[in-house]
Amino acid sequence: MANPILQVRDLRTQFATEGGIVKAVDGVSFELYPGESLGIVGESGSGKSMTALSLLRLVPEPGRVVGGQVLFRDQDLLQLTSEEIREIRGRDIAMIFQDPQSSLNPVLRTGFQVDEAMLAHGKPKNQARARTLELLKKVRIPAAESRYKDFPHQLSGGMRQRAMIAMGLANAPAILIADEPTTALDVTVQAQILELLADLNRELGTAIIMITHNMGVVAGLCTRVLVMYAGEIVEQGPVEQIFANPQHPYTWSLLKSMPRVDALRHERLRSIEGMAPDLLRPPSGCRFHPRCPFRIDKCFTNEPQLEEVGPGQRAACWVTMDRARKEMGADELKDIRPGAGSNVHPGEDR
Amino acid sequence: MAEAAVKGTPAPAPSGAKSLVRVENVVKHFPAGLGTHVHAVDGVSFDIREGETLGLVGESGCGKSTLARLVTQLIPVTSGKVFFGDVELTKLRGEKLRQYRRQLQMIFQDPFASLDPRMTVGDIIAEPLDNFRIVRGRKRNQRVQELLKIVGLNPNFNNRYPHEFSGGQRQRIGIARALALNPKLVVCDEAISALDVSIQAQIVNLLEDLQREFRLTYLFIAHDLSVVRHISDRVMVMYLGKIVEIADSVETYSSPKHPYTKALLSAIPVPDPKVQRGRRLVELTGEIPSPINPPSGCRFHTRCPIARLPTPCAETEPPLEEKRRDHLAACHFSSDV
Repeated sequence: MANPILQVRDLRTQFATEGGIVKAVDGVSFELYPGESLGIVGESGSGKSMTALSLLRLVPEPGRVVGGQVLFRDQDLLQLTSEEIREIRGRDIAMIFQDPQSSLNPVLRTGFQVDEAMLAHGKPKNQARARTLELLKKVRIPAAESRYKDFPHQLSGGMRQRAMIAMGLANAPAILIADEPTTALDVTVQAQILELLADLNRELGTAIIMITHNMGVVAGLCTRVLVMYAGEIVEQGPVEQIFANPQHPYTWSLLKSMPRVDALRHERLRSIEGMAPDLLRPPSGCRFHPRCPFRIDKCFTNEPQLEEVGPGQRAACWVTMDRARKEMGADELKDIRPGAGSNVHPGEDR
Repeated sequence: MAEAAVKGTPAPAPSGAKSLVRVENVVKHFPAGLGTHVHAVDGVSFDIREGETLGLVGESGCGKSTLARLVTQLIPVTSGKVFFGDVELTKLRGEKLRQYRRQLQMIFQDPFASLDPRMTVGDIIAEPLDNFRIVRGRKRNQRVQELLKIVGLNPNFNNRYPHEFSGGQRQRIGIARALALNPKLVVCDEAISALDVSIQAQIVNLLEDLQREFRLTYLFIAHDLSVVRHISDRVMVMYLGKIVEIADSVETYSSPKHPYTKALLSAIPVPDPKVQRGRRLVELTGEIPSPINPPSGCRFHTRCPIARLPTPCAETEPPLEEKRRDHLAACHFSSDV
C-alpha cells in the first residue's frame, strides 16, 4: 500500500466541565491512505465527530485537543499557527456536516458561497464562478445556472447537501471529511448522496472520512472502518472482514442489534443492555465491560490495547469473538446481557 | 406466517379479522394562504386489525404524522370518517370524544421534548390517571411504580426528574405514560428514530413484549423501513398524502407492487458489504412535488421509472386495489414492478 496521506497518533481531546474533565477522544490512532474511503462508526458520545473536528482543530469550546499528532504532508496540523491551519482547511482537507441548513448562510446566494470557498484561498473571482458552475453540475444539481442564484431556503435538503459537497470539493482537496452527511435526509435522497460521494471518490481520488452511526452506510461506501466506543477505537479493519467476522463484542452486538430490511424472518433483535458510559467517570478496565456479554475478570481491571486479530484487522479485547463463539456459545445467545455468555457478574463471581 | 408464529401473535385472517380502527376516505387539508391548501392527507382508507402492528412509512412530508393525529382525533378531519370499533370518532365532540381517547394513546419521537422537565417522572406517568380521576393517593403511587416496572425502570425512580434519564430511559417513561390508561391502540410516531442503534433494539423488544402482554394494537410510524418491517405485521406506504401500498411485511420486501415501495426499499442500506454492493438502487428522478399542487393522475408519475405518459399515469388516478390476496397497491402497472 502507498504511504498514508494522514497519520493520526494518540489523539486526545478533552472538555473541561464543571463536573470534571470529559475525555471525548482518548488516544485515537489511525492512518488514512490516498483515495480510500474510511468509515468511523459509533453511537452518540463515542467521540467520532470530535475525532473529525480535532483533525482540523475545529473542536468547540470548552473542548481542547490536549495531545497527539495529526501528520499531513510531513507537518503536524496540531502544531500549526491558526493562519497556517486556515490555509489547510477547505483547500487540502475539507469538511461537510450533518445539517446543510445550518451550514449555509441564509442571506447569501448558494453559488456565491461555493465561490467563497475558492476566493478564501486566492482564486480570482471569474475563475471561481466558472468552477462553481462546473461543480454544481458535477454534484448533479439540475439547472446549475439558475440554482447558482438561489438562496439556500429555495433548495431542498438534498440539494443543499449537494451544494455543501460542491463547496467541499471546490479546491480539489486531498481529503473530504463527511460528518453524518445523510442523517437529516430521507432515505431515497441519502442513497443519491452516497452514490455521489462514491463516484467522486472514484473519479477524483479524493480520500473520504465518513463519520456515521449507520452500519449500512459504511457497508455501501467504505473500504475500511474504525469502530469507536467511549472515546476509543475498539476495532478497525477492512469493511468486508469487520462485517463478516467482527472480533470485538461491541462491533458484534451492534451488527446483531440492527434489523435488516432484507431479513426474511422475524427474529427478536438482540439488544445491547445498559447505556453508553458517562465519560466523566469512564468504567475501569475495558470501557465496554459493564455491557459486555463475554467479559472475564481481567476486563474489569485491565484496559485491552488494539491487537492484530486478522489480516489488517485489529481489536481491543481480552476475549475476542473467536473465543466467545467457541467457549461461550455466542451464536446461541438470545439476549446481549452483561456477562450473559461468560457468567461473570460483579459481586457474585468476583 | 412464520413471522407471526415467532412473535407469538396469531396472524390475522386476511378479511375475517376484526378491525379495531377503520379509516374511510379521510381527507385533511391545511390552508396555505391565498386560497390554496396543503393536501396533507388526501382520501385514505384502511383498517387497523385488532392485535396487529400496522407499520406506516413514507418520506418527510408524505402525511404520515398528520394521519396519526387524525386516527387519534387530535386534529379534526376535513372530510371522511374514523371508526374505533363501531363508534364513529369523527362524529363525537368534547367529553364523549375525550372518554374514547383513553383507549388511543401516543408515543412521540423526541423523548426530550415530550416530557415536562419540571414534573417528576411519577407525576408525568400519573397525569393521565389524574386527568380521568382513575386512582388517588397510595393506589396512584402503586400504579406508577407498577408502570415503571413494566417498562423496565426502577420503580423507586418516581421522584426523579426527566433530565436525570438518558434518551432510551425517557422513551420508556413515555411508554409508561401511554400505557397508564390501559389503551387498546398505541400510535408510535417515530418513537425510536431519535435513539441510538443499541437503544433502538431495547425499545423495539420492549414494545413487542408489551404488545403480547397487554394485547395492544400498534400503528407504528417511522421513516426507517428496516425497523418498520421488523416490528410490523403489515406495512402501509404513503406518498404525497396517498396510500400507495398495503401488504404483509415480508411480502412488501419480497414482491412490492408499487414502484415507489420498490425504490424506497432499494434505497435502504443493508449492513452487509457483500449484499449492499450487489444491490441496485432504483433511482428516483426529481424531487417530491409540492403537496399544495400535487401532480395529476398518479401522484408518483413525475418520478416513476415505469410510468407511461401521459396515458394513463398522468391522467387517471390508479385506485388502491387488491393485486394479490391481502396485498393492495395503487398502480396501473403493478405487474411490471
